[in-house]
Amino acid sequence: MSKDKGRVVVVPCSGIGKPSGSVSREAAYELCESLRPQKTQLVALSKLVLGDAATRETVARTPCVAIDGCQQMCASKMVKKSGGTVIHAVAVLDAFRRHRELKAEGIAELNDAGRKLARVMAEELVETVDALGSSGVDKGATYV
Amino acid sequence: MTAGKFTFRVPEDRLYTAEGIWVLSEGDRPSNRIRVGLTDYLQQHSGDVAFAFVKPSGARLLADETLAEVETIKTLLELPSPIAGTVVKVNPALDLTPEVINRDPYGEGWLATIEPADWGADRAGLLGPREYLSHMQSQVQEELEKP
Amino acid sequence: MSEGPERKVGIIACSGEELAEGTVSRLAALRVLDSLRPHDTVTLCLPLFLAGGPDDRTFALHHPTITVDGCDLRCAAHATEMYSNKPVHSLVVSELVAEQGLRKPGGRRQLNEAGRQAVESTAERLAALVDAVISKETHVSDTARVTGTSERRERGEGSCSCGGKCAV
Repeated sequence: MSKDKGRVVVVPCSGIGKPSGSVSREAAYELCESLRPQKTQLVALSKLVLGDAATRETVARTPCVAIDGCQQMCASKMVKKSGGTVIHAVAVLDAFRRHRELKAEGIAELNDAGRKLARVMAEELVETVDALGSSGVDKGATYV
Repeated sequence: MTAGKFTFRVPEDRLYTAEGIWVLSEGDRPSNRIRVGLTDYLQQHSGDVAFAFVKPSGARLLADETLAEVETIKTLLELPSPIAGTVVKVNPALDLTPEVINRDPYGEGWLATIEPADWGADRAGLLGPREYLSHMQSQVQEELEKP
Repeated sequence: MSEGPERKVGIIACSGEELAEGTVSRLAALRVLDSLRPHDTVTLCLPLFLAGGPDDRTFALHHPTITVDGCDLRCAAHATEMYSNKPVHSLVVSELVAEQGLRKPGGRRQLNEAGRQAVESTAERLAALVDAVISKETHVSDTARVTGTSERRERGEGSCSCGGKCAV
């Protein structure tokens, strides 16, 4: 339990049908590899849903952040259904509403605007991750 | 119609424009108000709706004058009014939850209600369900043939 | 509005973020969809599939599918079988890499040279499998026409119209 204290599991949807799925994936990588590698753990959604035991156990005891590509909210829904607690869910569409100049294009390879949108999303999530990290309890979390 | 894994619904109880606006009379009389919205094909093709701005209540429009701007995560749509008339009501849900257009384009995702200026004349220029379906099939085919 | 059965193959990639092989699966599927076999394939979104997306599951019920997984957990293959129907073929990137003696892919976020090569190899294999499936479907359909028997899939009657993919 102590090694997970202050850590957050990050689950992107990585949908393949729209650029916003790639944005969710890139945002997760930015957060987990560049911004807060010590405080986050990236988890593949399908691995969680299809019952990998170790993954389920990790998700059950660690607060989760879901990054959804579209309004279907697959990552949020399925993390909750798999026994996880989603302390914060962000959707690419909502991030786009705050940054209308960043229209993401491309699925296999995101355009500049898509990569920037992903970076902005990751930076916005840092606050949640840091707040949890400082005390192990997220006082300002949006529980979903 | 179905293309690949996508299904595009075309209800038979309303009329359509070639641009992808549906038009539903709220009664049988020519003076009855007209409700309008985006077709299933148009909303799916355009992507997740981020913002929807509709001309306010009281606005007078000619047919083909811009009724609404719908901005999606992919594109900005300028939607022409299918008929001449006065905007009576704008869907209040569009302010906070414009994605209702994607979720229920023919029901809760309506855009506006219009008091028609000359329904008889404007009605004649609209497409019936089968005509619109045929037009939509051509649009889909064009999309598929794009490189 | 159906115009007869369409011959399309659904591709489902695991897109697993934790391994480079997951990224390879994603990019290989997209390469086939966008460049190698754009008129013969449709990609199905695995998260939407898992969450209950009716379009994707229904498509997989009535059309042949090929899954592309990064590793031997085979998430895409299992999900497809669980929620729809058994895929016709199941590719696993790690197995293909071993089989072809390729270097292990690296860089889950940005693939290295070995990863890019794995994408090409996987995409080529995937395209060949699509061809095999389509060819078999054509043969079955032609045979049915010649013998006058009605074509029935194990999965159920197809009911789709013109073929194609539509950008969403």
